[in-house]
Amino acid sequence: MSKTINNVVCPICGCLCDDLEVTIENNEIVKMKNGCAVCEAKMVHGYKSEERILKPMIRKDGKLVSVSIDEAVKKAAQILTDAKYPLLFGWSSTVGEAQRIGVELAEELGATLDNCCSVCHGPSVMATQEIGIPAATLGQIRHRADLIVYWACNPWASHPRHVERYTAFTDGRFEGSEWKNYLQKLKADSGRKKIEMASKRIARVEPPIKPQVCFTGPPPPMLEHKPGRKMIVVDVRKTMTAEVADYFLQIEPNRDYDVIEALRCLVTDQELDVDKVGGIPVDTLRDVADAMMNCEFGVIYFGLGMTQSLGRFRNIEIAIALARDLNRKTKFIISPMRGHFNVTGANTVFAWQTGYPFALDFSQGYPQFNPGENTAVDLLKRGDNDATLIISADPAAHFPSVIMQNMLKHPLITINPDMNAISRLGDVVFPTQWCGIEYSGTAYRMDAVPITLKKVVEAPPGILTDEELLIRILEEVRAIKIKRGEPVGQTEAKFTHPNTTKTPPVNTAQKKPKRATKKKVA
Amino acid sequence: MVTLTAIRTFNIPIQAPCITPENFADKTIAELKKLPLTEGNRNVTLGDLFKIEQSPTETPNIILNGDLSKVKRVGQAMKSGEIVINGNIGMHTGEKMAGGKIVVNGNAGGWTGSEMKKGAIEIHGDGGDYIASPYRGNDLGMKGGLITIDGNVGTDVGCHLKGGIIKIKGSAGRFLGYHMTDGVIYVEKDCDVRAGACMTGGKIVIGGALEILPSFTIDSVKPKVKVDDSTNIVGPFYVFLGDRSERGVGKIFANKVANPALKFYEKYL
Repeated sequence: MSKTINNVVCPICGCLCDDLEVTIENNEIVKMKNGCAVCEAKMVHGYKSEERILKPMIRKDGKLVSVSIDEAVKKAAQILTDAKYPLLFGWSSTVGEAQRIGVELAEELGATLDNCCSVCHGPSVMATQEIGIPAATLGQIRHRADLIVYWACNPWASHPRHVERYTAFTDGRFEGSEWKNYLQKLKADSGRKKIEMASKRIARVEPPIKPQVCFTGPPPPMLEHKPGRKMIVVDVRKTMTAEVADYFLQIEPNRDYDVIEALRCLVTDQELDVDKVGGIPVDTLRDVADAMMNCEFGVIYFGLGMTQSLGRFRNIEIAIALARDLNRKTKFIISPMRGHFNVTGANTVFAWQTGYPFALDFSQGYPQFNPGENTAVDLLKRGDNDATLIISADPAAHFPSVIMQNMLKHPLITINPDMNAISRLGDVVFPTQWCGIEYSGTAYRMDAVPITLKKVVEAPPGILTDEELLIRILEEVRAIKIKRGEPVGQTEAKFTHPNTTKTPPVNTAQKKPKRATKKKVA
Repeated sequence: MVTLTAIRTFNIPIQAPCITPENFADKTIAELKKLPLTEGNRNVTLGDLFKIEQSPTETPNIILNGDLSKVKRVGQAMKSGEIVINGNIGMHTGEKMAGGKIVVNGNAGGWTGSEMKKGAIEIHGDGGDYIASPYRGNDLGMKGGLITIDGNVGTDVGCHLKGGIIKIKGSAGRFLGYHMTDGVIYVEKDCDVRAGACMTGGKIVIGGALEILPSFTIDSVKPKVKVDDSTNIVGPFYVFLGDRSERGVGKIFANKVANPALKFYEKYL
């Protein structure tokens, strides 16, 4: 028997699209509507992977052996309490409720606590601390933004529904969709290409090899006079998003800071001594600055091309300063394109619990914050820690090899639903449920709006959620500390999340009274 | 004088804000051994980690021996006296220092001399990142004193500098003197990109090659520049004013001989 669940939230990227229609047969997702290709890959196929871990495992004589959950929890708690400087890393692909227990565990252990944002949008958070941020929710941008700048990001591949749901291709209350214009442009482009190909075939001329880095020329007049929404893409190469855009600005790699600095000077009506900045003529930059100043509601979305290239958080700081300067002339917003679906939540929960969003050190008994000192990559590069717990992340697939070598010198505990690269290397390997598919919880969208993820199917028997598992480990850690005669903390009463798949009972007594209609006066 | 020698190699970070001349004054060896430190998340004492010897000589007050690159916060908020470190030292050395002197015969970690107000730090090796810079989200840069570094330094040195002098005999990383409002930074060799970004005052003197941000404008060419009362550096130097995006009037002195790429600016003079 199949059933369909509406308004399911997608647990993939920071967009957290909440309009999916999921069809379930025999406790399996078989069909999905409205989702992007990335979403379908995880929600229809990925979560049923053959690599699913079904039992906890411990490494004995170099091989992973299945054990009971109690034994694995005891072993993990022993490793963590024996360590002098453990690191708890991951957190961005799990729900806020589990992250909260994670902070408690880190405090109890005197551990270092870091989340995935230290290798993605951590610089954005640091820049926000330095200078502040003019922000808005995605709904505001959907209804009002008439100039959208995508800087060093490629939402067409990383956030496939961002353009369609929130920016250029969506019908807002005050701004229309540019979808039809784009289709017309696409048709014209393909027609032009066909004619070119045909003429080449007739002339039998070898096509010239285009240089890899090419400047796309001055902005078309449509940037200034085009009605409706405008979209500018700034990147180091022509991405799929750039092909959709009204104007594409190709800058030299690692020159984002210089280009934004030049734009800031132009926005504040100052002359520049140089002719070109980051490979772009100053006259072109002036046109872009004019387009930015003449819009009614502009927004800059920036991606990892800016946060992880030369300059890192200084790039973001200067971009926010540009938005601040533009706000003297018009309305301008700046927002990061957060990657994992709950990486914003990791920052929010950590900040709510401790005052700091990531890179925390509890070794002194109170939280100390310092990216560069307590961030996972820097810490492991120096080889400071002596035990690691990884939850809902796969650093083995993404971290530099030196760092992984240092990590593997010491015991490693992993908590992941399937056998990814890091789980294969773990000394204690825990299985867990897929959040957003097998259990519900809270996640934060890229604009820090909390959205409740839904449970759509039942998990395999015996597998705990991240939250339940962390509570078990925390209880065991406390038991060991009490045995040693050390002081321990106390947990607040456990908050149980309501199961969102159940329809709420309809209370007929509280129905809204019908609006009284005015009687016509004769 | 107290000599501390590391008993073993340290693998876990140690926080040692207790190692200051004020804290060590008039204490016997037995009392010094009981001073609290942390190794990772464990509470330990100075006697657990260091061999302590006392001698009647007055200066320097404290000598530290061994590889101490994991030992953090030595000389925190010290007001007087002298610490000599024979070996590498970890992060936050001499933070919030208000007087006295620290000599490092080795390399120093990041945030050395952070939020420093007075005194002197000498590093006879390389310096890390964020030397004399404040912590995240803070604009309390170095207000006074002198930091000299014989080797190279990392990125973001002298951010939010409000006074004092930083002299670097090697080369410097990017974002040197970011957001500085006053004070002097002198680099003898090359400097990486974006020196003086967002500066609104003060002086950066670079003896080697550098790149100038588009938001700076040329002011003049000067034959020499004064770094402090006793040091004059002979040029000639291009003088750049900026950062204009912050409406700043800070000065960058770029050596004319080492920077032929900046020659095109001469047409604006």
